[in-house]
Amino acid sequence: MNKGNIYIAILCSTIVFTSSCKKELLDPALKTSVAAENAFDTQFRIESQANSLYGSLKNGSFYGGRYLAYGNIRGEDFINETGNLVTASDVWSLNLANSATSVKGLWSQGYLTINRCNVFIDGMTTKGNSVVGDAAGAKYVAEARLIRALSYYSLLQLFARPYADGNGSKPGLPLRLTGITGPGFSDLARSTVDQVYTQILADLNYAETNLPSTNANALLNTTRAHKNTAIALKTRVYLSMGKWAEVITEANKLVPAVAPFKAKANVANDLVTDIALVFKAPYTTAESIFSLPMTSSASPLDYPGTQNSLASYFYFTNATPGTTEYSLNPTGVIANTGWKSTDKRRALLFTSAASKQFVAKFIAPSPYTDYVPVIRWSEVLLNLAEARVRSTNTIDPQALLLLNAVRQRSDATTTLAPATVTDFTDALLLERRIEFLGEGLRGPDLTRLLLTLPLKGSAPAKTSSENGYIWPISSDELSLNKLMTDN
Amino acid sequence: MKKLLQSLFMMLLFAATAFGQERTITGTVTGKEDGLPLPGVSVKIKGTSGGTTTAADGKYSLKTSTKTGTIEFSSIGYILQSRAIGASNVMNVTLETDSKTLTDVVVVGYGTQKRGETTGSTASVSGASIAQKPIQSLEAGLAGRAAGVQITVPAGLLNTPPVFRIRGTNSISLSSQPLFVIDGVVATTGDQGLTASAANPLASINPNDIESIDIAKDAASTAIYGSRAANGVVFVTTKRGKTGAPVVNYDFWVGWSKAYRLPELLDAFQYTDYKNEAIANANAIRPGSVNVTFNGVSQLQKFVLTNGPDGQPINTRWYDYAYRTGVSQNHNVNVSGGTDNTKYYMGFGYTNQQGIYQKNDFKRLNGLFNVDSKLNKFITIGGKLSYSNEKNLAAISSGSLNGEAYGTSGIARTTLVNSPNVSPFNNDGSYNLGATFVGPMNNIVTGNQVGFYNFAQVLSLNRENNEIDHLQSNAYFQLTPFKWLNLKSMYGIDYINSDNDIFYNPVHGPGQGVLGEGIGAFRKRKNWTWTNTAQASYEISQHNFNLLLGQEQQRNTVTGYGIDRQGLTDPAYDVVQAGYTLNNSTGAAYGENYLLSYFGRLNYNYAGKYFLSGNLRQDEYSALGVKKGIFWGASAGWEITKENFWSSAGLDKVFSSFKIKGSYGKVGNISGIGDYATFSTYGSALYGGVASSIYSAAGNKELTWETSKKTDVGINFGLLKGRLEFEVDYYKNNIDGLILNVSQSPSTGVPSSVATNIGSMYNKGFEFNVNATPLKSASFSWNSNFNIAYNKNEVTALAPGLTEIVTPTGSTATGENVNRSIPGYSIGYLYVVRTGGVDPATGRRIFFNQAGRAVTYQHIVPTGASQWTYLDNGSTAPAITQGADAVMYHNTAPKFYGGFDNTFRYKGFDLNVMLTYQLGFWVSYGTNAGLHDQRYWNNAVDVLARWQKPGDDTNFPRAIYTDNVSYGNTIPLDINIFKGDFVKLRNVSFGYTIPQTAFGKSGINRVRVYVAGQNLAIITKYPGPDPEVSSNGSSSSGQGSDRNSGPNARTYTMGLSLGF
Repeated sequence: MNKGNIYIAILCSTIVFTSSCKKELLDPALKTSVAAENAFDTQFRIESQANSLYGSLKNGSFYGGRYLAYGNIRGEDFINETGNLVTASDVWSLNLANSATSVKGLWSQGYLTINRCNVFIDGMTTKGNSVVGDAAGAKYVAEARLIRALSYYSLLQLFARPYADGNGSKPGLPLRLTGITGPGFSDLARSTVDQVYTQILADLNYAETNLPSTNANALLNTTRAHKNTAIALKTRVYLSMGKWAEVITEANKLVPAVAPFKAKANVANDLVTDIALVFKAPYTTAESIFSLPMTSSASPLDYPGTQNSLASYFYFTNATPGTTEYSLNPTGVIANTGWKSTDKRRALLFTSAASKQFVAKFIAPSPYTDYVPVIRWSEVLLNLAEARVRSTNTIDPQALLLLNAVRQRSDATTTLAPATVTDFTDALLLERRIEFLGEGLRGPDLTRLLLTLPLKGSAPAKTSSENGYIWPISSDELSLNKLMTDN
Repeated sequence: MKKLLQSLFMMLLFAATAFGQERTITGTVTGKEDGLPLPGVSVKIKGTSGGTTTAADGKYSLKTSTKTGTIEFSSIGYILQSRAIGASNVMNVTLETDSKTLTDVVVVGYGTQKRGETTGSTASVSGASIAQKPIQSLEAGLAGRAAGVQITVPAGLLNTPPVFRIRGTNSISLSSQPLFVIDGVVATTGDQGLTASAANPLASINPNDIESIDIAKDAASTAIYGSRAANGVVFVTTKRGKTGAPVVNYDFWVGWSKAYRLPELLDAFQYTDYKNEAIANANAIRPGSVNVTFNGVSQLQKFVLTNGPDGQPINTRWYDYAYRTGVSQNHNVNVSGGTDNTKYYMGFGYTNQQGIYQKNDFKRLNGLFNVDSKLNKFITIGGKLSYSNEKNLAAISSGSLNGEAYGTSGIARTTLVNSPNVSPFNNDGSYNLGATFVGPMNNIVTGNQVGFYNFAQVLSLNRENNEIDHLQSNAYFQLTPFKWLNLKSMYGIDYINSDNDIFYNPVHGPGQGVLGEGIGAFRKRKNWTWTNTAQASYEISQHNFNLLLGQEQQRNTVTGYGIDRQGLTDPAYDVVQAGYTLNNSTGAAYGENYLLSYFGRLNYNYAGKYFLSGNLRQDEYSALGVKKGIFWGASAGWEITKENFWSSAGLDKVFSSFKIKGSYGKVGNISGIGDYATFSTYGSALYGGVASSIYSAAGNKELTWETSKKTDVGINFGLLKGRLEFEVDYYKNNIDGLILNVSQSPSTGVPSSVATNIGSMYNKGFEFNVNATPLKSASFSWNSNFNIAYNKNEVTALAPGLTEIVTPTGSTATGENVNRSIPGYSIGYLYVVRTGGVDPATGRRIFFNQAGRAVTYQHIVPTGASQWTYLDNGSTAPAITQGADAVMYHNTAPKFYGGFDNTFRYKGFDLNVMLTYQLGFWVSYGTNAGLHDQRYWNNAVDVLARWQKPGDDTNFPRAIYTDNVSYGNTIPLDINIFKGDFVKLRNVSFGYTIPQTAFGKSGINRVRVYVAGQNLAIITKYPGPDPEVSSNGSSSSGQGSDRNSGPNARTYTMGLSLGF
């Protein structure tokens, strides 16, 4: 061994031990996502997040597909074709388990959306408002509160007893109003149905005050909230609560006393001449007060996804129309003789080779990119009509005009003239079945009035007092939230 | 380098001739067992350097000038022989194999240690014992070969990574697979494919190129790997060259694989009758309940036979279209040799294996080159170059990989579901395709559905292929400035390129709805490791010290991208590069992590009697919130046979060795922590095409490693001069700060579960290992190994407020939740509802609710009646649910497991019989629920024992069409839980080595021919194909769930080994 080798050894060791570590690699930066700390740093990111709240609402498990599908198939107008639990055959046959896909999926996506709204509202308070200014900040918060309200409302329709049962005194939902970003908040008891509705209305009132009266263009007037969105949703909410006077108050802000029934304030919402246009690109008619837009992007996902879309439930799961999960009940509303074959809404049905009929409102092929209607102008008209009849218990002239406005838009040759109040309310409900077939309103319409969910095919009927009339609570919630109670 | 080598050869030549004037001793070295010549045996005069080695024919020639002295003959695997130099110039020697060969040297972290000096617990397996087996990766060959090591092959899909557990399952949410260190470089593990074919990266190592596998189990032997050591460390050492003339080996085998123990299903006639009975029963209870609208008329559903092209009713055995006899072949060539200064090993392999599923193939082409070169007295350099190309091919999902259990495509499941009264083909020879699924032929049923996909069509056109290019290489530089000091720097890389090719045809199957789909996705994983160590050994009057200091960095990066294209512009296209109408990205991946470590080890022993050892490592890891951690292990041992009192008591006559050892230490687990788990993040999303940032993950800034505190106490002793060697170990592993993905109640709306260091668990148990040579004579020998391990696992704490961890089989949304981990029970306990047979009066299944009260179920009931009623009074009962009524039923982790390996030799014949077993565990045979589903699904034949009339005493309820509850398809039931205990005849091989004399001067030195079988027999009461099968892959908490998984393979091989 010579000294040279020792020197080499010492030199090598020194180089290795001193120069090789790359300490900076211990703190990698995010390259494909934004850290929570920086989420409210810029106007761009705040706008971007506001869009994401709508995006969360339109998730296929929630308002982008399944929520509407459930509303349809709880009613009597559809027949289950596949017996597949994943595509809600248990929703249809009204024998859901707490652990059912539909129960768990809707519950979690609903609350995921609610929490995102809460986190956003908190973030605006702590930082966002100072970035965009208070006025713009209030508008963003209004949008978040509207989405939160709609989410709570939708969950109430399935997971809680209708308001009519005990005037909202029954168990409602855990009412969460602050953002949760970490562990430790699992336990929260249910508020009453009335308390949840009160919060929904507070949110919608705030939204009405702080939303713009109109957005920049037809697309944004359809896909982003404005004052009419909040007002229209309030007519629906009050109708569900049976608060007819409030329905009228809200609707009157927009609906003129006489035809033409075009919104007299804010965005000029109106019935389109041909209802088929509502369901066709660009989906942004004056009738579409609020719809959820879709594109064919899969990554990031911008459509409802597998086994979620309305088209795949009701029109086709493969490229062949009529091969799908749910056909129309031959003894359901399509058998109604008062619904004429010339009615344009009959053109929105498809008859298969096997003589089965299907809803053909949502027919965009895979990946099923039809916009999903949340609320249409015709619903506001019918909401008002119903409220007027039920509040006065008379055949109200304006109500008759409104009912016929909706009917005659698609069937000019028919004039409805119910003889009694009962006939009138029956006609209204029938009109809603026809007008909103496939749009998810039938289930909530039955339950808000405590009507029996009728028998269809092999599925039994359920009276409002029977087990299974409303959904059981998600098994995940029951096991992780100690204060939660089942239905 | 080349010049250097040349000059080295020249020097050698010169040395050989310079002293060539003296006498020459010649002879032949042969093996004692078989009498065959032994090449590569080192022959040298004791106390001198130089010497020679035997040639391929076992002959040597040694020139020497000494008249006296001793010649030593040594070769790895043989006992050293010393012979005094006498008058004769001819010295023929026979060498005896050393049954303790492997026990000579143990690979430990950053070096090796003599077996006798270790105080940790390490099991060693020779490469030879897993070579020539019809396996894809080395782990699959390890089952039963080492005490405390549990290997489970979870699927018959080729190249599925086996489940590897050392001393129980040591994590809940993170990985429980051990750390793999291949030739000193930490390797990437886990499935690297993005398709329905499996791609285990360890398959890149040709088992034939492996010298040894050392499995470190306790803290003392693993602590040098600090934060990654909690699941044990597996050291894989590939073959390196040995001094001597080039030795060439060629190995070949051909094999035939088949599925075994498939469930027996109803044939078309039984099926048709049975389903019609079920329909009639349902209709009798509530008329119209099972009607279908057909041609506009509501009528009863009806199962009807259809005549095939031969005019006879179709009776399809769907297994015949899914499974096959796979034919495999394998070729290996290796060359090794070297001089004292430079040694090399080159191995080349080609394997082409067909799986039991149609179109499931594994093809590997690999090369390995190892070289070590001593440049001078002070400097050694060397390295390794290993390249492998693997094609993992499939056409359709097997349904057996983790998460696939409920896939509609899963072929194993589809064979069970599809109706036997329809054929995959129409009578005109075209595929029988319905609107979405296999066509119903004459059956009149809801949705025209009598099965899932017609997979025969799918198999013919679809692809789920993956191709891996895997480069593992390292280079080292070693300096020995003093005899006692060794400095080494090694840089290693592990690069994996995974290229994925998926095609779904537009006519039928998963591609139908989207009009054809092509996916191409590429993922590149790069890993480099730079290790610098200094090792000093010092000896002073029987005090032996060995000190290791080191520093290491490891960097992993992964990037991936891909395209998912739908809507073929021409139906004839079948590649992703063709025309499509819709283009989306897929498989985007970006990740990086970095581990910076300093470590040290001090070994001390006094006179080979008392041993002490200490390990210390500091790791800093980029993915953690608390990045820096210190890990350590300490151990001590006492070799009692060297004590005077031992021999004075005469015990040395009984025991050839007797050693007591113990260790304790603290190590960690970070395997499976996401690179960015500490961040709360907003991910990319779209709202109608508008960019958005969505709150998508909740992070934990406090996240740190899981900690294991391991205790090990053991004794090793030998009897009968080492013919019996026993090892007994007791161990306990306390795991603290288990990282749990703590689920928040869904109403919190937290978008992801939050990884939190909370929860604890332990594993404790015994291991017993005996190596024996019960018989040994000149022509006959019997070597035997038996090992058994007992393990007890218990979860002791979860997070406050977190009462259970439920592990779904399949996806969370659509799967079943049969595994549940809660404190007081072992991990992944089965959680099911109890049943009480079938009510003889009504034919309804009896369930027990939480209170133990019997509740019966009937799927279809008259309008207004309840499906659930109390057995005792017939009143309406609340529905039975898993949440409310299930009980903790049975453990899934085996209590006992091990192996029994026997090798018999008689002259040139050898027979190896290897049994493996796992005992004391239960498996949820979820497939069984599907096998009794009362929809159109086909059923197992036992369903024919159904209840038919009051008084029938049976376990099979009254057949009621559409009933998916009574047999456990919606609620997991105890009727589908079975004891999994098994003993498997894992390997049998019978070989004959042809005497060398038969080949004369042909150059062939060794020829062995053999036949072998794998999984030839299984003794078990488990009714499914194989209790080893698992739907949840290597998931720590989801073991013992067999839902819709396919069977394993039984393989026969025939092979030939040639040595030149």
